[in-house]
Amino acid sequence: MKWQRWAIPASALPVLVLLGWGLTRDARTVPSPLPGKAAPDFRLQTLKGDSLSLTSLKGQAVLVNFWASWCLACRAEHQVLLSAAKRYSDQGLKIVGVVYEDSRDNARAWIAERGGDWPNVLDVGSRTAIEYGLFGVPETFFVGRDGRILYKQIGPLDSAVIERWVPKLLATGGSAASADTFAEGRSAGHVPTRRP
Amino acid sequence: MLRRWPLLLLIAWVSVAAAPLAGQIPIDSATPTRDPRFEATVREVASSLRCPVCQNNSVEDSPSLLAQDMKKEIRARLAAGETPDQVRKYFVSRYGEWVLTKPTAGGFNLSIWLLPFVALLAGALVVWVAVRRWVRQGDAPRPAAASGEATPGDGATLRARKAALQASLQDLEAEFAAGRLDARDLALLTERDQTELNAVNEALRNVKKESTKPAARASQPVSGFGRWSARLGWAVALGAFALVLVLSLRGSVAARSEGGVITGSQTASAAPVEMELQQTGPLDSLRIAQLEARIRRDSTDVPALIELGHIYLAQGMLQKAWLVDTLAIRLQPDAPSSAEAFVHIGMILWSQGETDGGLKAIDKALYLRPELPEALLYRGIIYFAGLQDMRAAAQIFEHYLAVAPPDANTARVRAMLNAARQAGAGK
Repeated sequence: MKWQRWAIPASALPVLVLLGWGLTRDARTVPSPLPGKAAPDFRLQTLKGDSLSLTSLKGQAVLVNFWASWCLACRAEHQVLLSAAKRYSDQGLKIVGVVYEDSRDNARAWIAERGGDWPNVLDVGSRTAIEYGLFGVPETFFVGRDGRILYKQIGPLDSAVIERWVPKLLATGGSAASADTFAEGRSAGHVPTRRP
Repeated sequence: MLRRWPLLLLIAWVSVAAAPLAGQIPIDSATPTRDPRFEATVREVASSLRCPVCQNNSVEDSPSLLAQDMKKEIRARLAAGETPDQVRKYFVSRYGEWVLTKPTAGGFNLSIWLLPFVALLAGALVVWVAVRRWVRQGDAPRPAAASGEATPGDGATLRARKAALQASLQDLEAEFAAGRLDARDLALLTERDQTELNAVNEALRNVKKESTKPAARASQPVSGFGRWSARLGWAVALGAFALVLVLSLRGSVAARSEGGVITGSQTASAAPVEMELQQTGPLDSLRIAQLEARIRRDSTDVPALIELGHIYLAQGMLQKAWLVDTLAIRLQPDAPSSAEAFVHIGMILWSQGETDGGLKAIDKALYLRPELPEALLYRGIIYFAGLQDMRAAAQIFEHYLAVAPPDANTARVRAMLNAARQAGAGK
């Protein structure tokens, strides 16, 4: 009957381990299944009226930035995007804004006030937002030259995130490279090749 | 009004009839179909998916725009012939397992489904073992006397009974000697007591034997070593539990920082209002009276209006402050002197929860007077405590410290700047 003395402490141990594991995790972070996968394509109307698809940007490093004019955090983030565009556009970084749950007029006025010469598309019906598993705005997807999502930023971008991920994004391989290719550290200046 | 009905009907009919013709419009749109079984499936799938922008709400129950759009997507996919499981799979591929209101039974998730049953089984086992032990105790042969009179529980009652029997035997001898008892009765009674005494003595020996045996029966207290090892086990388990608690709740358990609030990492939004209230002096009511008199004489006295707005705000009289500041702005909307009024408006808006409007007003103030310290200060506070954009807040506070003359606020701004830098670096 000696085992009975140890039964309670012994059965408490797995509970403790689970508790320790669970409590040290941030309950608010939701792991996204998208990084490492191909970025969902979209063909949407820009604020200017012409149509734009993600496929047309294949072979380039793209920031797909979901925003809305009613989103306060997007204001501060816009400054970060402006400086990222200034710093990295000559290295081939493209930015595409996706306007989420917002009207064309509001979005136009917002851009007119704050600047930014990258295209912004209207996601009427939130189909693209759902395709990208959007939780809210702002959210930004770092799409590599191979068309895969390298990183997903939930919440506003800041310059630290830009400096950490954009160089990696620019270094992504042009052809159907695996996600591991990023670790090899290709030079940022290499000529992108289009996927057939 | 009635005459318009035919026209309305015609429009309705045309739009319904034309809908399938327009190739661009999928059948799925917002309008539910008439098939109740299909609608039930839509509802079933929608309630099995979590709304991403809500707190603990399913897509079916959420009124949010995104949830409605998701429901449209569900309807479209079901209409296109996908099974409910395929639709769920699609959403899982976009949002992860998180999106399911009911976690799938597989892998680690299996524990959620199995643990309740494991706990139930364990409880049943505990009850079974306990009941069996009680039953065994009840059946155990009692070291009771043959006469069945005594049911000796423990050594103490046995010893008491033994003493009583011995006393009784002595009494019998005394009665006999005194001639109150004949020899036949003495023999009978002595034999009765002696038999019971023997039985009690036997029972006492048994009790002694059992208590010296190490952990003889489960109902007996465990021996020294067993007791100590069990205690050690409990101490270790409790210690581990405390460690886990302290490690995981360290942030909440830590001492509150200067100016911190009870919610820990959240920054206090009440701080700026307090700061304003602290700046009031005893002469303020006198000054208010003077300024109010000036405005009564000339309601377009903008400097008086703005100064009054400042004092009202400092005293927490937000409505009055709002009144005089909006008046000043209406009189001179684009004069640099109105910049302060815009700052006050901004602060009032922000204190009412209108962060956006507050920032706009302060931006306007900075447009009128780019280096107005008050505007920089409050802009910084809104970024610091409201938007919690520590990077921007730090920049604004640096700007403030560079342009503002040192005063009572300088130390506070320094403190906020440090906090903002730390929070910014910690991100």
